[in-house]
Amino acid sequence: MITNRELDQFIICKKCDTLHRKIPLHQGTKALCSKCDTLIYRRDDKMIEKSLALVITTIISLIVAFEFTIISININGLEQSLSLSSLFAVLIEHNQYVVGIMFLFLIVIFPLMILTSLFFIFFFMKIKKYGYTTKRLLILLSHLKHWSMVDIFFISLLVAMVKLFDYARIEIGVSFVAFILTLILELIITKNISFHELWQEHENIYGEEDDDEEE
Amino acid sequence: MKRSNFIRCHVCETVNYDDPSNILCRRCHSKLHQPEYISFHRTLAFLITAMILYIPANLYPILISKQFGVNTESTIIGGVIHLWEAGSYPIALIILVASVFVPLLKFIFIIYLLISTKYNVNSSRVDKHKLFYITEAIGPWSMIDVFVVIILAVLIHFSGIQVFPGAGATSFALMVFFTMLSALSFDTRLIKKGVT
Repeated sequence: MITNRELDQFIICKKCDTLHRKIPLHQGTKALCSKCDTLIYRRDDKMIEKSLALVITTIISLIVAFEFTIISININGLEQSLSLSSLFAVLIEHNQYVVGIMFLFLIVIFPLMILTSLFFIFFFMKIKKYGYTTKRLLILLSHLKHWSMVDIFFISLLVAMVKLFDYARIEIGVSFVAFILTLILELIITKNISFHELWQEHENIYGEEDDDEEE
Repeated sequence: MKRSNFIRCHVCETVNYDDPSNILCRRCHSKLHQPEYISFHRTLAFLITAMILYIPANLYPILISKQFGVNTESTIIGGVIHLWEAGSYPIALIILVASVFVPLLKFIFIIYLLISTKYNVNSSRVDKHKLFYITEAIGPWSMIDVFVVIILAVLIHFSGIQVFPGAGATSFALMVFFTMLSALSFDTRLIKKGVT
């Protein structure tokens, strides 16, 4: 039988499933998979502080993006604007409840849940308390991470704008800029943190004593 | 000690020793794997649901435009052809790839993964893992078309001209949802079993 400490020495690439033995890294360097060059882990001693700052900024810009007008169009003096509230109003008016509920979850609820749980994870890790809650949040996060579609919504927005370009004058609203900001920040966050490191950090901070409590 | 003795937890990404008597992950205590047939059947069930939904998604209009009381309906393919004729080739290609080819590719990939793991088709294990990774990554991008229709419905909402989503949009959105569920319930451990 093999001990947990020995198992901690290994890591499996998420893309091609190759088994690697971990080597210690210097601050700021990263390790790539030997077969497919995917990033498998890195070392960043300031990860929690950096990520906490990024997550707070992203939450604010996402809330701004949801609050105000995204774009508005003008066809021969007739004006119409797109914001989250007008979007749901139109969907309910046309009885598109299934699409409306999916939209609500994929664009609003899941992204906000992901960001708030990330916020609490980093906050709890920073103050080094509530190890068990953090663990539950990490598990929740790993189930939620596939279900955020803010980036896809933004690409669709661009496609819709190109479609309307010939007929209407398009004005960009505050939320449009906020969406761009959110996407860039989200990109940096997903590049910055990996689940492997989050769990590693969790173990370093809280140890394994909270495991015994629940068993 | 063989490579197949190690298994990666899909929740916390830690490496576990594959021990049939203990199916919980040593770090996060989530289930490492169910009995294999459960994963197989669940993936298959979601896939079939998605494939059935793909038919109304393409046959029913995804977009209905109402001009002064006259309804014009357009399906996904119709929309692509219309865009192509209007000369916006890049957009036509994006919609074509995202909403016609991506779902089809996902169906083919998942069917291939299921068949090849069930009947031990001789192909590289690494390739299968990469295929699964791609299947997971391209999944949500088919939603582009539904989102575009929703955005257009909100913006073109005047008394004379109105655009609104049709029955195709609902079935298309559900189809994407079920293909994603199907990909998520596929157990990568099935791939490993095919080799030993």
